[in-house]
Amino acid sequence: MNKMRFLSAALVLCFLAAGFVVPAKAQDFSHIEAILERLDRQSRFENTDFSSVLTMVVEDQEKGIEKMVVRQFRRDDGERFLLLIQEPITEKGQGYLLEGDNLWFYDPSSRQFAHTSLKETFQGSDARNADFGSNSYSSSYEVEGYLEGTLGNFEVYIIDLKAVDDTVPFPFVKLWVTKDSDLVLKTEEYSLTYRLMRTGLYPKYTKVGNVVIPVQMIFVDELVEGNKTQISVSEISVNDIPDHVFTKAYIERVNR
Amino acid sequence: MLLTMKVAFRNILRQKKRSFLLAGAIAFGMLVITLMNALTGGVVGNIRENFSHALGGHIFIMGREWTDAGQMIMKIRPDERLEQLLEEHGAQIEGFTRRSQAMPTMIFGSRQTMQMLYGVDFAEETKLLESLIVTEGSFSEIGTEEASIILPQPVGERLGVQVGETMIIRLETLTGQQNVGEVKVVAFIKDQEELGLSAAYTSRSYLNTLLGMDPHEYQLLNMFLTDLDMVDEFARVFREGLRAEDEEEEVVEAEPAVSVTVAGMPMDPMTEREELTPWEGTRYQIMHINQIMEAVELVVGVLNRVGQVIFLILLVVTMVGITNTFRMIMIERTKEIGTMRAFGMHQKQVKNIFLWEAVFLGLLGCIAGLFLALVISFIVGGIELNTDPSMQFFLDNGKITFIFSLTKVVFNTAIVVFISLLAAYWPARAAAKMSPIKALSSHT
Repeated sequence: MNKMRFLSAALVLCFLAAGFVVPAKAQDFSHIEAILERLDRQSRFENTDFSSVLTMVVEDQEKGIEKMVVRQFRRDDGERFLLLIQEPITEKGQGYLLEGDNLWFYDPSSRQFAHTSLKETFQGSDARNADFGSNSYSSSYEVEGYLEGTLGNFEVYIIDLKAVDDTVPFPFVKLWVTKDSDLVLKTEEYSLTYRLMRTGLYPKYTKVGNVVIPVQMIFVDELVEGNKTQISVSEISVNDIPDHVFTKAYIERVNR
Repeated sequence: MLLTMKVAFRNILRQKKRSFLLAGAIAFGMLVITLMNALTGGVVGNIRENFSHALGGHIFIMGREWTDAGQMIMKIRPDERLEQLLEEHGAQIEGFTRRSQAMPTMIFGSRQTMQMLYGVDFAEETKLLESLIVTEGSFSEIGTEEASIILPQPVGERLGVQVGETMIIRLETLTGQQNVGEVKVVAFIKDQEELGLSAAYTSRSYLNTLLGMDPHEYQLLNMFLTDLDMVDEFARVFREGLRAEDEEEEVVEAEPAVSVTVAGMPMDPMTEREELTPWEGTRYQIMHINQIMEAVELVVGVLNRVGQVIFLILLVVTMVGITNTFRMIMIERTKEIGTMRAFGMHQKQVKNIFLWEAVFLGLLGCIAGLFLALVISFIVGGIELNTDPSMQFFLDNGKITFIFSLTKVVFNTAIVVFISLLAAYWPARAAAKMSPIKALSSHT
């Protein structure tokens, strides 16, 4: 009997040690899928445009610390965004223009557009081009499983996702989503061989109309020791952006 | 005929200094053009050879197909048509390799670097292992340890990794998904970065796993041919043999997707997205070394033409000298010509003596020029140059190569002889037409 009690106590202790994680009911993912849909919906500016200034601090063990300032324009209706680099001065004028499925990179020194991908890293940082648009968890991933637990003081769902196709850079993703407010606090992104590649932390959010966006993001490279990127979002606006901003001609013009 | 030739040769020897200077001028022209031709010939040969090694063959076959998600990927599946072509033309193929390739980020601790990585079937490519120079470690574990890697020494030093340690490689699958592998460093090899040959090697099946391919699939089939003259024909045969029924004939020059890569890096980066209509199955792209060499040969052709123009200018200057010299000779030998004519020598014979002199001068100049060119090329060709790494592509193991073309030498000699004859023709004709009486009564 004592042995049984000891085993039970040990089991409980194990659960407690694992971050107060309790396994959820088996295979019922409908409410988790609903959460993913809400996450996608609340990250998307349906009826308004969005602009902001992104300040990025890129820490690289070999290259040192670099600060970047990027002007962001977003129009989720039509899958468009424009990222214009303002700092450092050596990269000023470079831009990324998303037009539906096509992402173009403009280099003012060669005055040419090159096709690139949302899966690529942004300017050698730990952020990816896809990080600057709206989420697409519900359409790009399927739920593999989930747990309930805590992250700091927050009650969270820890959701395991698997990509439904090859359109996303990370085949496996783990999300820490608050139970009460549907905010992603942490992400872990895994390779096809299920090795942790990147951890994303989202400590601060702001609400703009019906949209909730993280105003601080930290991406940690889990493969290269000491590499991480912090992104702060400021000068947020939902004013209308003229159509011509989302054109190649505009990027060329601002560089004249 | 023999007599006139003998007299002509003796006449050359009579005025050694003058003949030496005239032949010297011709020799200099011959030296310049021969060296220039030999140098450009050598450079073309070296570039072709170095490119072949850098790209791993003379003929390069790549396969393209569309995924269900509408993405074009590069891979070759086992294909009966391809196997049959390889079997049919086996006699002309010196060797071929089936490789996968990637440009992963190699990571060790906080250090990272990008490096060309070839996935190789080590059992099939025994010649590769023989050609690699091991600086540390050995290839003994290659067969047993699938997730092993052979690294160029400088890459290992850059990463700070030692033989026997495990490092991370981060790459994208063919469809662009992130993937990570762990590989054990089994050996360091001597780097040949200057020739674009800086590559790491791992087993093809392991790299395929990371790239999201089956173990028996590959991305590149490179062939070395026994005879380089067959390259164009061979490429045509494979292009036609592998063309799908609904595929239009490939217009090589206008093919935008053809992108030559040296060590995995495109030489002609594609700035615009290629709009293609998806197709079923695999379509092949066949490239060959001559396509890559076209630009080089164009430049070399221009160089050779410039050399030819310089050569002709030198010859024209020399021709003026020869004409003047022969006019002087004619005046000097007026009495001699008169005597020969008085003894029954025909006008034609007199003319021929002068013309043979010109021919001998030209030939002597050519022989001297060729000899000097050989000596200079022997000396210069023996010097090992420690030049800029990019220059190594023009050299053969750091040495300048001179390739002499018999056709060009014969052609240039013919030009020299012809111009010498032309230069001597009018003085020779004037000498032949001279009246024997007037010539004998001449005071010169």
